[in-house]
Amino acid sequence: MRFSVWPLISTRKLGTTVLGLLLGFLVVPAMLCAEDAAPDSDKETIRALLHRVDQLEARVAQLEAQQKPAPQAPGQAPASAPTHAPAPIASELAPEQEPGGGMEQRMDTRTLMQIRGFGDMTFHGSDAHGTHTAFSLGQLNLFVTSDISEKFRLLSEIVFEADPTNSVGVDVERLLLQYSLNDYFNLAVGRYHTDIGFYNTAYHHSAWLQTAVGRPLLFQFEDNGGILPIHNVGASLSGAIPSGRLGLHYVAEVGNGRASSSPSAEPVQNVVDENNGKAVNFALFARPNAVRGLQVGFSAYHDSLHPVGIPTIGENIYDAYAVLQRPSFEWLNEALLIRHAVKGGHVFDTPGFYSQVSKAFGPYRPYFRYQYVNESPQEPMFPFVGLQHGPSVGLRYDATEAVALKLQYDRTMFRQEPSVNGVQLQFAFTF
Amino acid sequence: MRRTLLVAIFPVLPVLLAGMLALGPPVLNGAGSDQSVAIIVNPSNPVENCSFEDLRKIFMGEKSHWPNGRRITLVMLDPAQPERKVVLREIYNMSEKDLNNHFIQGVFTGGVLAPPKTLASAAEVRKFVFNVPGAIGYVKGTDVDPSVKILRIDGRLPDDKDYRLRVQAHSGKP
Repeated sequence: MRFSVWPLISTRKLGTTVLGLLLGFLVVPAMLCAEDAAPDSDKETIRALLHRVDQLEARVAQLEAQQKPAPQAPGQAPASAPTHAPAPIASELAPEQEPGGGMEQRMDTRTLMQIRGFGDMTFHGSDAHGTHTAFSLGQLNLFVTSDISEKFRLLSEIVFEADPTNSVGVDVERLLLQYSLNDYFNLAVGRYHTDIGFYNTAYHHSAWLQTAVGRPLLFQFEDNGGILPIHNVGASLSGAIPSGRLGLHYVAEVGNGRASSSPSAEPVQNVVDENNGKAVNFALFARPNAVRGLQVGFSAYHDSLHPVGIPTIGENIYDAYAVLQRPSFEWLNEALLIRHAVKGGHVFDTPGFYSQVSKAFGPYRPYFRYQYVNESPQEPMFPFVGLQHGPSVGLRYDATEAVALKLQYDRTMFRQEPSVNGVQLQFAFTF
Repeated sequence: MRRTLLVAIFPVLPVLLAGMLALGPPVLNGAGSDQSVAIIVNPSNPVENCSFEDLRKIFMGEKSHWPNGRRITLVMLDPAQPERKVVLREIYNMSEKDLNNHFIQGVFTGGVLAPPKTLASAAEVRKFVFNVPGAIGYVKGTDVDPSVKILRIDGRLPDDKDYRLRVQAHSGKP
């Protein structure tokens, strides 16, 4: 007995089934292909609709959040963003507690620690008696900032520098904890650059930021023979003054001042103060809206110095400046007077100024500076500075956005000594 | 009659649909034409209007707090995007290199609290501004959505005639 399935299907049904299978093989792949190759316009429509849905969901979530503010206990994780709200960006995920909690969003924009470096190397020579040409390591400056919270911030400059004995040392040139309440009230405590005039707080320890090879004579650092209290340890208050288009700002500082008991003492009183008197400084400057890049200002500094064997000296430093700084043009003008009044005795005035102008032509920036400082021969604090004045001419070439090459010629004239001519070639960079 | 009308409309439908797609998504929240650049802030920001000079100070980092004391966080698009070129030209009047130097020096002196955040797309800028109450950024007028608020500049919105921040398609300026 033979068994067959065929008899179960009639010839007519067989034909219909085969036809159906054939159609299936032909039509289904065609449909799949058609789905894959859907017209671009349909895809665009779908994408637009999805985008629109996302937008509406975000809006709904935002409105819901506004209607139901959820107060949070301190220290608790804040409410998460609405389910369909735009997602926080991956690198900024950590949420931040908002004062009062509630609907407002919750992305932490703090930069915990950021380091930028500055450095320079110089080849220099002069016709001064007893000097040699030399390659000199400049300062290696690690500038560190950190947003501790929305209001608190840390700023520091850690500088590695070789001294004339060729040994390398480390200095914390700036270390500031800053509290920024608003545009009108910013408090900083720590070690800072005294806000005397313009240059001292505009360039700090970066040769790359400066147009010229070095700082003007007046603003040389203390350990390079400078005559100003460039650094101070204390507190500084600064901010804008509501003044409309005038753009007024103030700075008020109180600190230990400089050491004066002995010429060999570390000039910056980082830890201990020689006396209870504190140095105070006040500065006022304007950045008027009418002239972009213009800044004019003045500062007044007062301290009492107590050198051994000499009566107390009252020190007052007055500075006034007008600078115009635009990306392709700068003109810096600053005049300063240091007044040392010996108690019950003479008053010694040391005036000084510099003027610097430069203009950029693409990567090239020629510049010119003239500087002058004239100290009395009987000046009790800095008897070796005397009169120094002269021009500097140079060319800065920005090889890249981070590397500058500077060539500078200096001629310095003295009161009773021959003039000195010098040439410097500097590589300055940031990284 | 009704059938005749339907038959007559049917061929026109694809044309209508294509036209709608070509016009793009609907303009929201008073956003301007695709040539304008809108300054956007978080919807919770109480500031509605800002003078152009104050806007410049905010973008330069010279103004770092909103009137309510919240810290301003500036977010910008990647270099070479047309909106960024408008901002560089109209607000900063600087090149990319000058802008970079400005913020390096500003942060270094302490005068600027932080350099701008840089993001790759308008969607990321919107997300950032939505999530950060003190944020300010910019996108094309057509990229604005209700998750952010447009800031009036000198009382003007991107749709207005005298609005300053516009992409100049054939401008040779940066």
